[in-house]
Amino acid sequence: MARQYAGDRTTGFASPAADSIEGSIDLSEILSLRKPSRYPVRVQGLSFVSRGVLSGDILIADTAGNPVSGSLVIACAGGQIILAELQNRNGKWFLVSGDDATQPLRVDPMRDVEIWGNITGLVRTEV
Amino acid sequence: MYGLIDCNAFYCSCQRAFEPSLKHKPVVVLSNNDGCAIARTREAKDLGIKMGDAWHLVKNTPKLVDVAWYSSNYALYADMSRRVYEVLLDHVPRVEAYSIDEMFLDLGGLHGNMEHRCEQIRASVEQITKIPTCVGWGPTKAIAKLANYIAKDRPELEGLCDLSDQALRHRYYRNLPVGEVWGIGRRLVPRLEAAGIRTIQQFVDADEALVRKLMMITGVRLQAELRGESCMALSEIVEQRKGMTCSRSFGQPVTDYDDMRTAITTFTSRAAEKLRAEELDTAHIVVFIQTNPHKRQDGWYAPQVSITCEPTNDTFALVAHAIRLLKVMWKDGYRYAKAGVSFNDLAPTNRQNTLFATGGERTRQATKAMDAVNQRFGKGTMSLLSAGLQNKWKPRQSMLSQRYTTNINEIMEARTF
Repeated sequence: MARQYAGDRTTGFASPAADSIEGSIDLSEILSLRKPSRYPVRVQGLSFVSRGVLSGDILIADTAGNPVSGSLVIACAGGQIILAELQNRNGKWFLVSGDDATQPLRVDPMRDVEIWGNITGLVRTEV
Repeated sequence: MYGLIDCNAFYCSCQRAFEPSLKHKPVVVLSNNDGCAIARTREAKDLGIKMGDAWHLVKNTPKLVDVAWYSSNYALYADMSRRVYEVLLDHVPRVEAYSIDEMFLDLGGLHGNMEHRCEQIRASVEQITKIPTCVGWGPTKAIAKLANYIAKDRPELEGLCDLSDQALRHRYYRNLPVGEVWGIGRRLVPRLEAAGIRTIQQFVDADEALVRKLMMITGVRLQAELRGESCMALSEIVEQRKGMTCSRSFGQPVTDYDDMRTAITTFTSRAAEKLRAEELDTAHIVVFIQTNPHKRQDGWYAPQVSITCEPTNDTFALVAHAIRLLKVMWKDGYRYAKAGVSFNDLAPTNRQNTLFATGGERTRQATKAMDAVNQRFGKGTMSLLSAGLQNKWKPRQSMLSQRYTTNINEIMEARTF
């Protein structure tokens, strides 16, 4: 197997950069995918185009931390997994649709409407 | 102070984490080959499903039509276990992963109310990994293990059990059978009972000489642990393995030598990969094949042969040895149900020994490349041709769920609201 060449070990002139090798950028580190609270989730549907989310995008959900009004969340509602905007209205949490086509849903674990995780990042592998 | 946190119906809870529609449903996870039930949610237990129930025999029972059942998805369970472990490390200084779903906690340096802290740990694990747990704690590991059992067993405790108080501990000891103690298994119970030891209290009070006679030093240490004297420290490092085995029950009987050869090649390759991952060499190889022990009327044949070799972890060398062993014992005419390969006499990879080894630099480079490819693109992406391309003996996994956290093509999907 050919040895890895990273700009350091040259055969003729010694590389002046040999002490400055940093390797390539590691996206899993940037997205903190090793954190136990990070999960990738694939988007299906277009109602959050206004928030820059396209169908097929990979969102990074974080299940730690507290809910933040106005943020995007992965939620469970009636056994379905959905992407919604979280809003606090008079102290109560609601899941709001991206295109206002559906009535907001009140977050209520007793009725199986729960927040699963907050969206912290987005990956699009094909542009 | 030690704690033991245990994930409730761990494999089922991993499935539920990514499928909210399972939340109130009975869920069962089956062993390799979709054989028997190895994890059950509360709802499944309430339907009378027992641990080890042969699924193909019970699944058509009318009352079980609504049970959601899954093949075991170990890639998912391993990653979820890692997540649980890492969440725990955010709360306590040291964690011992005792099994895939049980972890000992060092609660020694924690400040504040212990019950409150354990409740926080439990809530944090559940929020982050979606896995419900029970926590028990006390002054020793054996007591923590017992406390955990009590927390699980008594719903009124809401998943937490504190056995740090001696008087309370003794009340439980008087009422619990000795078989509930960590390390006292089914075979030992009748012998202890014959000696008049039925409850945990009787075990704790028993004469040390008697306990030593029945259980050797382990028993004496358990006695001390149950009295509150800690003799077992938290071990964060897994002891070096003594052996490594890769074996499988086949999805359908193997009758053909070539099929068996591909199976043995695959098992050997997999075990060799594990050796290299742990930087170990083996100097003793065992290969075994066997027919179905429950169908002895079809003929019973279960030979095993072994060979001592130069220490190596080279796939090519090990496969060659294993196939030679298979040839020695192979007999046509039997319906083989299971086979496996074990490596014994393991020692850290020692460059010196390779001086005399066969393979040499070329095969070492080849195995290294193979490991790199398999790590990057998934297990079994690159294998020896003799491992076969399509294997009839592959285990049955007819209800395998997605590997939600380890394979980008199988992650959870969310519909936009």
